[in-house]
Amino acid sequence: MSGEEEENAAELKIGDEFLKAKCLMNCEVALILDRKYEQLQQMSNDPMNQVSQVFEKSLQYVKRFSRYKNPDAVRQVREILSRYQLAEFELCVLGNLCPETVEEAIAMVPSIKTKGRAHEDDAIEKMLNDLSLIKKFE
Amino acid sequence: MYLKVELPRNVVIPPDQLDGEGLILQRSIIIRLLEDFSSRKATQEHGYFVAPTTLERIGEGKVRQDSGDVLFPVVFTCITFKPFRGEILRGVVNKIMKQGVFLSCGPIEKVYLAAQKMADYHHVPGENPIFMNDKHSRIEKDVEVRFMVLGTKWIETDREFQILGSLEGDYLGPV
Repeated sequence: MSGEEEENAAELKIGDEFLKAKCLMNCEVALILDRKYEQLQQMSNDPMNQVSQVFEKSLQYVKRFSRYKNPDAVRQVREILSRYQLAEFELCVLGNLCPETVEEAIAMVPSIKTKGRAHEDDAIEKMLNDLSLIKKFE
Repeated sequence: MYLKVELPRNVVIPPDQLDGEGLILQRSIIIRLLEDFSSRKATQEHGYFVAPTTLERIGEGKVRQDSGDVLFPVVFTCITFKPFRGEILRGVVNKIMKQGVFLSCGPIEKVYLAAQKMADYHHVPGENPIFMNDKHSRIEKDVEVRFMVLGTKWIETDREFQILGSLEGDYLGPV
């Protein structure tokens, strides 16, 4: 990517290395960090002292902003979204923000409607329905 | 966005922590990585270092002649947090001023929403000042706000990012 000025996540211009990097949804990060924290708890009496500020703030944040808590539900969310030919980045934005309508989904991830991509409103609607079902049955 | 990134790093292990048993060496390497992580905080390229997750490979160690320390080139996977321009994120309101609002978002504590970038909200002064729009949607302390990242700035001296946010757009604002 040439120059930082060009970065624009709304158009999915975020640099090749990050398009290829695996993005994580908040709920996935919450599961991983929770497990790490438990491991630390077993090793030390004062685990909060062992972790960095970045870890602590991230854990608080992802716990607050995870729509799905149960590990099975988290796995299913990724599985469902993976059926829709989304970039990793788009997948995670949708999983994090849980838009309720097609219009809202497009506002959150404008790149799903850019030219040459086959995301019809019907497909987006179905995707959102599938996601809301997981939430209901969690 | 939280990312899973594979990174190479050189880890130096002093001779007294070396042990023939593979597992103990791994443990020393992981402990050094964790220390390294808390001191490094963030880089402009990869964002904030949240936690190392797995040690992928340990290369062949090289002995340092002067100290007897052994340097291992390792590759590990870690979780990082990096903000992108154009990304939509959620944050929590920390502070309200006449000119705008400060939010925190994960490890980032300085997300600034200028009053000009939330044009339909107006400042309501008082002991607990708030921003409010005509539909009585309120931005006050501890409220969750969905915003768009207009720009990010890397501050080398503090090793942190600052974000300039905006509420101009559909479905943005208090959640």
